[in-house]
Amino acid sequence: MSHGDEFFVGHAPRMPESTRRRVRRVAAALVACGLALGVALTMLQARFDEGVFEFGVERTFDGVLLAEPYPVLLVADADGAGPRTILLSAPGKHGADALVADLVGRPVEVTGSLIDNGRREMIEVHAVRDLSADARLPAVDAGGESLGRLILAGEIVDSKCHLGVMKPGRDKTHKACAIRCISGGVPPVLRVEDRHGRLAYFLLVGTDGRAIGRELLSMIAEPVEVTGDVTRFGDLLVMRTEPASIRRPASR
Amino acid sequence: MAHAYRAVQWNRYKRLYDAVLAGGCVAYHVLFVGIGAATHPRATIETLVIRATATLAFLLLTVVLSIGPLCRLDPRLLPLLYNRRHLGVVTFLVAATHGVFSIVQFHALGDTHPLVSVLTANTEFASVSQFPFQPLGLLALLVLALMALTSHDFWLATLGPTTWKSLHMLVYAAWGLVVVHVALGVLQAERHPAFPVLVGAGVLWVGGIHAAAGLRERRGDRERPAAREGAWVEVCSADAIADGRAHVASVGDERVAVFRRGERLFALSNVCPHQGGPLGEGRIVDGCVTCPWHGHQFDPETGAAPPPYEDRATTIPLAVRDGTVWIAPDAERTS
Ligand code: HEM
Ligand code: FES
Repeated sequence: MSHGDEFFVGHAPRMPESTRRRVRRVAAALVACGLALGVALTMLQARFDEGVFEFGVERTFDGVLLAEPYPVLLVADADGAGPRTILLSAPGKHGADALVADLVGRPVEVTGSLIDNGRREMIEVHAVRDLSADARLPAVDAGGESLGRLILAGEIVDSKCHLGVMKPGRDKTHKACAIRCISGGVPPVLRVEDRHGRLAYFLLVGTDGRAIGRELLSMIAEPVEVTGDVTRFGDLLVMRTEPASIRRPASR
Repeated sequence: MAHAYRAVQWNRYKRLYDAVLAGGCVAYHVLFVGIGAATHPRATIETLVIRATATLAFLLLTVVLSIGPLCRLDPRLLPLLYNRRHLGVVTFLVAATHGVFSIVQFHALGDTHPLVSVLTANTEFASVSQFPFQPLGLLALLVLALMALTSHDFWLATLGPTTWKSLHMLVYAAWGLVVVHVALGVLQAERHPAFPVLVGAGVLWVGGIHAAAGLRERRGDRERPAAREGAWVEVCSADAIADGRAHVASVGDERVAVFRRGERLFALSNVCPHQGGPLGEGRIVDGCVTCPWHGHQFDPETGAAPPPYEDRATTIPLAVRDGTVWIAPDAERTS
């Protein structure tokens, strides 16, 4: 050892002076660098999507329950601007199918927490009450407007996390969670972003109009190209597609 | 090799070490979550906690790996090594918080058991960009858990120092798994170039100081060409060894520490029976060879630890001829 005669023994009550100075300096530098790094990392991190989940806050919504084929609530807009659709899910990583099973097509009161990213809303449903007896609700327009066959590049996300529950609710770090949610019945949507950063969401269903989810699990949270027939039901875009036809872009 | 279990002793320095460690970890979380929430109004607290614990665990693990080579390069830093196990256990606790929060956040309340989901949700093992990074984190956490659980001297005594040391070398595997966990996870999603740069710098730093410490040790070994006569190997001039200190000689692939206590010289294997610390970097304290790592003591004449301890350093026959020290490393030893 080239540092004088000092020798530190761990169980000795006191440290020699130059050792003490050295250790104190290095320890202080380590702590300072660590804290500075933490501050830098927390400021540099991104990946916090828009969207709010009113966790712990319950509201009630009156509307007509639809199955598109995922449960959707059609509500009268407060401003009288025509009805709008709200997606439904259950608590946790589950779809709302079991909660609304016998009520499709009926007027209902849904109690739950709102999830909203400014483009689209969802309710995490806690309770549903049949209002058939005293309904004064928007008329259901069963027919949609066909927008034709489209090829869209985007990312398949689970609508619940994506609209505000998780930060972020998309991309690689959220992939496993999105798989779990879609596997559990949360409606899968294709998130499409145009060059100007404008977002559109397409609810994905099978070519025969049935719910798909499990069929999509290997294609979630990564760039994909989806081909299908798009129909607009009010403010809701639904795309009928064959899951096996979904492609990854050539370069991955 | 008899190996007695010694109760860990507390002193002011240890308490200070732990206080700085705990205080630093708390301050890190307060700063990360506080400043994170202030600069990102849309962030949620769970996400901030997941990221604060993740980055701190990675940082602590990097420091844990750096202390060994830093002490080889500057022995005055040995006090940092002395209590390294506490650092290891804290690293595990912080990493476990990250792991548990992540499993709850991303896998609980679904249609599959959360632990099964961690392993089976994403199955794109053939892809680089989509590779399942979470199972790598889980594996790293299990390795850290194994080391934290066996960190107490009781396990050192039960498993024996060689097995214990091999087990604890797994810290390198854990670190490698975490690097890949980050490279295939967050680095695939986070866009700011600082993130890959910082992870790359961490990898270069850990590799670099290990290489530097290894090179220095190797250079030391080469400096000593040894004359041989039968079982006897020449070491150095007797005058070259200061009182209370050792000269470390490389013989074959083994290192031998030759200590001076007053007029007398003693040769011992350089490997401390406790955890393989470098005895030759120690001193004679109260007449005993004292290991620099945890301060275990051995009588240089017999190798025995003072009673009631039972561990024993390996002594090696030594002779001084014409002022030159010779040792017989392959002769019968006491151990
Ligand atoms: C059960 C074990 C683990 C699981 C399930 C897990 C899961 C995750 C997830 C989901 C992320 C992405 C979080 C985000 O969106 O930001 C992440 C990031 C990270 N993990 Fe882990 N992890 C585990 C163990 C570990 C361990 C043991 C370490 C280190 C000692 C570690 C270090 C990191 C780091 C440094 C990041 C990047 C931090 C960031 O997100 O900014 N992880 N982990
Ligand atoms: S290695 Fe622990 S005292 Fe020597």
